[in-house]
Amino acid sequence: MTDPAPIDPRLLEILVCPLTKGPLEYDRAAGELISRRAGLAYPVRDGIPIMLPEEARTLDP
Amino acid sequence: MLVFDRAAVRRHRDRAAATLEPVRPILEEAAERLIERLDDTTRRFSRALDLGGRGVVAPMLRARGIATVSADLSAAMAARNPAPSVVADEEFLPFAPASFDLIVASLSLHWVNDLPGALLQLRRALAPEGLLLASLPTLGTLDTLRGALMEAEMALSGGASPRISPFPELRDCAALLQRAGFALPVADVEEIRLAYADPLALLRDLRAGGEANAVRLRDKRIPPLALFPTALAALPREAGRIAIRLRMAMLTGWAVEKP
Repeated sequence: MTDPAPIDPRLLEILVCPLTKGPLEYDRAAGELISRRAGLAYPVRDGIPIMLPEEARTLDP
Repeated sequence: MLVFDRAAVRRHRDRAAATLEPVRPILEEAAERLIERLDDTTRRFSRALDLGGRGVVAPMLRARGIATVSADLSAAMAARNPAPSVVADEEFLPFAPASFDLIVASLSLHWVNDLPGALLQLRRALAPEGLLLASLPTLGTLDTLRGALMEAEMALSGGASPRISPFPELRDCAALLQRAGFALPVADVEEIRLAYADPLALLRDLRAGGEANAVRLRDKRIPPLALFPTALAALPREAGRIAIRLRMAMLTGWAVEKP
């Protein structure tokens, strides 16, 4: 698998979890933005973060 | 109360991403009229959010030297925007407080269920002295089509279902801005007049723009075969063409420090 397209660094400064409005961790290798508080990982596709809870992966507790 | 089926809104916008070209001139005209409002202020802007601009708004803002982030509910539509672009729900915005000094929502907030909530979140995403510019179709838009469909359906099946989205009144728009905590809220109307020789082209354009019916209580059954032909034939014509009004409420409001 090739490295997923990275997020524009300007986005990393302003994006928060849409549910908790809390901070996100960027897992560049997995291409995911992780909201620990919501227990969700938002996918990044072609450099575009998909900030929709219904598209997010539920984190293992 | 949920008026709109957001999954349908998203589907319509996904589909429209591939069919947008024919209606691009209408979207551009609407966006230009909204963005022109920037000329009325001496304030300079440097970081904008383009909400639902369908690939039309972001280039206009950049042409003014404003760094712009785009967001859309549909991934296909978001991909039409120049980077940086985000997929986001207007009702659950993923932006930190004071992320922008300008937000432009050109004809993109009318399929939102919780408009007061969306406006509140937009205000919070603005830095103090940030500006919101939003346009949405207001009462009067597509009114002849609404009336013709209603009458045709009553005549054909003895009842009518909502086929055109309910649009807010202008005075409601200003009140909404105020309730969301915007300072100096202003709402006025601009009108775009469209003329169609072929009434079916109007329906095609609405669909192409992602504006197909997403009212939750819409009748999902296939309409009576005669409904659209009957309604379209009844549309008033001017010089042989069907005149359609797109009445846009142009909303401006300023974010203030800790309102």
